[in-house]
Amino acid sequence: MSSGDGSSEPSSKISKISKKPRYSRFTQQELPACKPILTPGLVITILISLAIIFIPIGLSSISASENVVELVDRYDDVCIPSNSSNHDEKIGFIQDAATNKTCFRTWIVPKKMNHPIFVYYQLDNFYQNHRRYVKSRSDHQLWSPKSERATKLCEPEAQNDDDKPIVPCGLIAWSLFNDTYRFSRNDDAIEINKKDIAWGSDRTKKFGSDVYPKNFQTRGLIGGAKLNESIPLSQQEDLIVWMRTAALPSFRKLYGRIETDLEANDKITIEIQNNYNTYSFNGRKKLVISTTTWIGGKNDFLGRMYMTVGGTSLFFAIAFSILFVIKPR
Amino acid sequence: MASDSQIEINENSYKIPDFTRNSSSQRSISSIQSIQSKTSVREVGFSSELGSKPIKYGSRGADSRGLSTSYKEINDEDARLVYVNDPVRTNDKFELAGNSIRTAKYSILTFLPRNLFEQFHRVAYIYFLVIAILNQLPQLAVFGREASILPLAFVLFVTAVKDAYEDYRRHRSDKIENNRLAWVLSNEKFEQKKWKNICVGEIIKVSGNETLPCDMVLLSTSDATGVAYVQTTNLDGESNLKTRYAKQETQMRNPQEEKISGLIKCENPIGIYMLKNTDWAIGVAVYAGKETKAMLNNSGAPSKRSRLESRMNREIIYLSIFLVTLCTIVCICHGVWLRRHNDELDLMQFYRKKDYSEPEVENYEYYGWGMEIFFVFLMSVIVFQVMIPISLYISMELVRVGQAYFMIRDKRMFDESSNSSFQCRALNINEDLGQIKYVFSDKTGTLTENKMEFQCASIGGVDYDNGKASTEDDRIGHSIQADGMVLKPKMTVKLDSELLNLSKRKHTDDGRHVRDFFMALAACNTIVPLTVETSDPAVKLIEYQGESPDEQALVYAAATYGFMLIERTSGHIVIDIQGERQRFNVLGLHEFDSERKRMSVILGCPDNTVKLFVKGADTSMFSVIDKSSNSNMVKATEAHLNSYSSKGLRTLVIGMRELSASEFEQWQSSYESASTAVMGRAGLLRKVANNIENHLNSLGASGIEDKLQQGVPEAIESLRMAGIKVWVLTGDKQETAISIGYSSKLLTISDATRGGPGLELLFELASRCTVVLCCRVAPLQKAGIVALIKHRTDDMTLAIGDGANDVSMIQKADVGIGISGQEGRQAVMASDFAMGQFRFLVPLLLVHGHWNYQRMSYMILYNFYRNAVFVLVLFWYVLFTSFTLTTAITDWSSVLYSVIYTSLPTIVVGVLDKDLSRATLLKYPQLYGAGQRSESYNGKLFWVMILDTLWQSVVAFFVPFLAYWESDVDGSSLGDLWTIAVVVMVNIHLAMDVIRWYWITHAAIWGSIIATFICVMIIDAVPILPGYWAFFHIADTKLFWVCLLGITVGALVPHFAVKFVQYYRPNNIQIAREAEKFGNSRESPDAQIEMNPIFDPPHRSGG
Repeated sequence: MSSGDGSSEPSSKISKISKKPRYSRFTQQELPACKPILTPGLVITILISLAIIFIPIGLSSISASENVVELVDRYDDVCIPSNSSNHDEKIGFIQDAATNKTCFRTWIVPKKMNHPIFVYYQLDNFYQNHRRYVKSRSDHQLWSPKSERATKLCEPEAQNDDDKPIVPCGLIAWSLFNDTYRFSRNDDAIEINKKDIAWGSDRTKKFGSDVYPKNFQTRGLIGGAKLNESIPLSQQEDLIVWMRTAALPSFRKLYGRIETDLEANDKITIEIQNNYNTYSFNGRKKLVISTTTWIGGKNDFLGRMYMTVGGTSLFFAIAFSILFVIKPR
Repeated sequence: MASDSQIEINENSYKIPDFTRNSSSQRSISSIQSIQSKTSVREVGFSSELGSKPIKYGSRGADSRGLSTSYKEINDEDARLVYVNDPVRTNDKFELAGNSIRTAKYSILTFLPRNLFEQFHRVAYIYFLVIAILNQLPQLAVFGREASILPLAFVLFVTAVKDAYEDYRRHRSDKIENNRLAWVLSNEKFEQKKWKNICVGEIIKVSGNETLPCDMVLLSTSDATGVAYVQTTNLDGESNLKTRYAKQETQMRNPQEEKISGLIKCENPIGIYMLKNTDWAIGVAVYAGKETKAMLNNSGAPSKRSRLESRMNREIIYLSIFLVTLCTIVCICHGVWLRRHNDELDLMQFYRKKDYSEPEVENYEYYGWGMEIFFVFLMSVIVFQVMIPISLYISMELVRVGQAYFMIRDKRMFDESSNSSFQCRALNINEDLGQIKYVFSDKTGTLTENKMEFQCASIGGVDYDNGKASTEDDRIGHSIQADGMVLKPKMTVKLDSELLNLSKRKHTDDGRHVRDFFMALAACNTIVPLTVETSDPAVKLIEYQGESPDEQALVYAAATYGFMLIERTSGHIVIDIQGERQRFNVLGLHEFDSERKRMSVILGCPDNTVKLFVKGADTSMFSVIDKSSNSNMVKATEAHLNSYSSKGLRTLVIGMRELSASEFEQWQSSYESASTAVMGRAGLLRKVANNIENHLNSLGASGIEDKLQQGVPEAIESLRMAGIKVWVLTGDKQETAISIGYSSKLLTISDATRGGPGLELLFELASRCTVVLCCRVAPLQKAGIVALIKHRTDDMTLAIGDGANDVSMIQKADVGIGISGQEGRQAVMASDFAMGQFRFLVPLLLVHGHWNYQRMSYMILYNFYRNAVFVLVLFWYVLFTSFTLTTAITDWSSVLYSVIYTSLPTIVVGVLDKDLSRATLLKYPQLYGAGQRSESYNGKLFWVMILDTLWQSVVAFFVPFLAYWESDVDGSSLGDLWTIAVVVMVNIHLAMDVIRWYWITHAAIWGSIIATFICVMIIDAVPILPGYWAFFHIADTKLFWVCLLGITVGALVPHFAVKFVQYYRPNNIQIAREAEKFGNSRESPDAQIEMNPIFDPPHRSGG
């Protein structure tokens, strides 16, 4: 039986077409190409241009970081009665709803701080990126009242004891931070603007303007703040900020903005309501006020890194130049 | 295995009742019984015509495998009963296949299940599947459902589309084949029927030059003796004609007039393929459709695994260990963390072990310490799965397809003379071509053209070297005129006028000697003459078809000197002797076999004498030649033979003897009993032949030139300069081999020829030589030599050959190459690559092999790095999530990373990048050494790569980590930064290694980075995902871009440094690259080649 290969038949032998491959630069792998090659000149050029780019960026980010005025104050260890030294006493204190948890701190502003001054709270050793935690939310429920029963991933904070859905459900919302701060300078209250602290995109597209908190923090174990049930989620900016879960276990969250300048040596008194339980997991709480520059907050790391890379490049550029002069290959 | 012995022509035995000259004896010849050996057609009962007495046939003929029995009883259960001309009854009892063939694998309905089934035969896919299934368990759902299935679905889809397209093409060709028409007997006349409708048992008529629709048993042919000549090109590619014989009982019957019915019991089909030189043939279909030999023979290409892939698999084991280590670290740390925080877990805001929603306070999704650790381990396997670069297997396949495309389309590897381009039969060993250390080559047909040309003869002790006196004008050759037609041989040889004159003197002793010599050339063979029309209707050409090119050359030579073989039937031959047409009865024929190394024919001559003509190899012939009668002549012939073979000619010695009547009768009876023997027929026939082939008179010897193929010397020189050891394995005698060795530049300095050592010493000596010539090697010994090198050394071997005798060697070697030449296609069928000429080996190895190896090596290392760096970035993050396998990088980005973000550039570079140009590689064959020394992929490179990967992952992770420490950044934004940073980093890493930038390379690399940005934007534009709009927020800050730049530069600094070290301590390739770019200003690669002494091993008898 023939294999169906027509070329073996005598009839087609006459009209045998040449199977020669059609020549093209592509099939012969001769496409025009640029072939850069590392030469001493190129290496030195690359190194010098790296130095030229990196050193200025490094310098400017160091200076930007230097210009940032940042005040950090850890208060979780001082805002508890001094007699509650052991772990259980601390938890007992923080869990007791009846106790007065007001705490006063006084700061001296070291340098002039231009507005806007950002007020952050910082939590350390709080794993907002824990797998159990980040999954425990319902984005459907946050956006649409129709999906208020979409609470599958929110366990164990999905429903209240009457099997009514909790809005917003899940551990993230449940553990909403609830310390509050009031700033005053020479007994004049400094207003903290809490508007627009959350992302606009979250307020308009992620948290529904017709979704209202329901059955929230009504059960025995209170994780954190309660929500005003008459305000839609899209305006609950503290919640929205909180629910942008932090990347790292030490994180800051924006609390608000101070829209006035603080002068050097200003004495600032802060009234803290120390409500949030970080004692149960040995977390730390800090209050931070900071100005910002183009690089963000105070952080020398990038500037130093850029200086190191730039400096090294410059060093090797010079070293290689000398090497090539003295001992070419 | 059965099939190739079936296609061998078995000797036909003849019962000759008497041998009278008169024409009535022709009738008696027609009673020849002849049946193909393997078809144990046992009983053919022709009840209606021949009476009820069954005629018994035995299968006969020498079995090529030397099995002691060639006759097999067929059990009734196994046997196939074919009722001739009664398809209904035939198909009634047995479920016999219809003739519709099906090479396609799938139908529309079966495609999905079958294709999936076949795809999941791969380990890689199973790994994918297991991971995807693990991820579906609620406790382990690390990735979203859709995201976890996507990579597997993508790969399955791509492969399925490819398979579907291939199958569609098979469907189309099946359809064409099935709808071809054949003449089938129905209602006592032949009617046209589609091939697919032919049933077993039907009688089919096939005309000349038609292809047979199925396997048939021949009933009758246009030839009176029932001979049909067939060509088996489609089956084994051999274009010479083979004879098949019709059943004698049916030969004289015309099925249209007389009703034939009968029963055929058979086991193996007689496949005949294309009818040639025969006007028509009628046969019974016995095997149809998928049971035909062509379909049974249709086996796929061989599968081998490349050395690089084997090495790679070793490194993949390291990576698996690495993966398990990472997972173990994570799960141990998690266990410790759980223990240390055991008291806090209940209330901890981000853990909340207790579920207070029920009256009974229970643990929520907490399965105990041990199980939690176990789940974390499995989850970390899911998250870190890409550490094993499964996508690499798919990329490698794609790259190999691309490389094969370029090899096939290379115009420099296209053979104009045979109109054949390079063939890649094995798709998975392309890169082995760059690491070859040993080339084992066949000689005849591989180094030489296998176009034999008669050069000279020594007749009666006189050397007629027609090369010396002849001019072009002498090449008129002989032609005969008959019935107003001129018959000419298709090819002529150079004439020696002295010899021509001598051959015309009938009555001198010398003349008779010469005439006998040419008679022997014309008669002692199995050549079939064919008459071919020319443009001039009055001139016809005679073309000689046969299995041995040597025989063809000899017959053409005889024809040129006026001894023209005109006709061959099973019983006689007609030779035109210088215008006088004479008929000789072929009384007996002993075919060539490798033990006797000669063949002989017994002719009944017109003058009533019986003559035995023998031709064979010198060693075998001189033992049976009677030296006593004319020792001077024999000595002279021997001297001539030595001078011929030292010129590189192939030699044959010819002898003859006149048989007396008693001798003949004795022979005849022993021959008859041998040929009807049931057991050990081949051996008996050989014995009969040995008995008669003795006391021969030496007629002379012939010298046939087998021309070297074009470019062979240059090719061998290039291969040697490339550090490849070239071994030529040939069955020729030593002198011939050495002379070919010189002419092909294989041998340049001659060393003493040593003798005697066994296999051990052979290896010891030969492995130190760059060139080894092995002569008088049997096919199996060829494979043995290849196996010897493969076992003793770690070097890559390549075998190249063109004939069936090279098959074992080709299969044994790491890379087998078939020359698609004259000797049929068995070698090609067994090979991994096939090409037209030996010299194509140079571009194949030095250029394509080098590129393939270098490209594939780089691609494997790069893929390891690319995936490991991503996994490590995930791993570092896991260390800061209390070991809970959270990924800042979104599920979708994790999944798309190896599918979209980084896959295309590596494939493009793997297909297109060239470290050096073709011209450079051909100019400096030494550059091939890079592959032989495994310079592009080895353990050191792997570990250096791992270190580099560690560094890069640390930079990519910790720069953002430290830059955003104690800031208000959210997980999604930082995840996007890590995603982009890693993708940019690995793509720039690749860009730094690209040697030639084509526009496609630019498009792939920069396009991938852009595609990543676009994908990240799209993912972050889905409001329902937690990371909604994160990218747009973080990309709006300058810090993001400063980080990105810092990561890219900082991470690639060591890589840059290594490249610079390469510049400062250059290897050959680096030097050649610079030379290519800047001209020869720098020193060129060390062009010294060591000339090792050449060793010519003695012939190893016995093996």
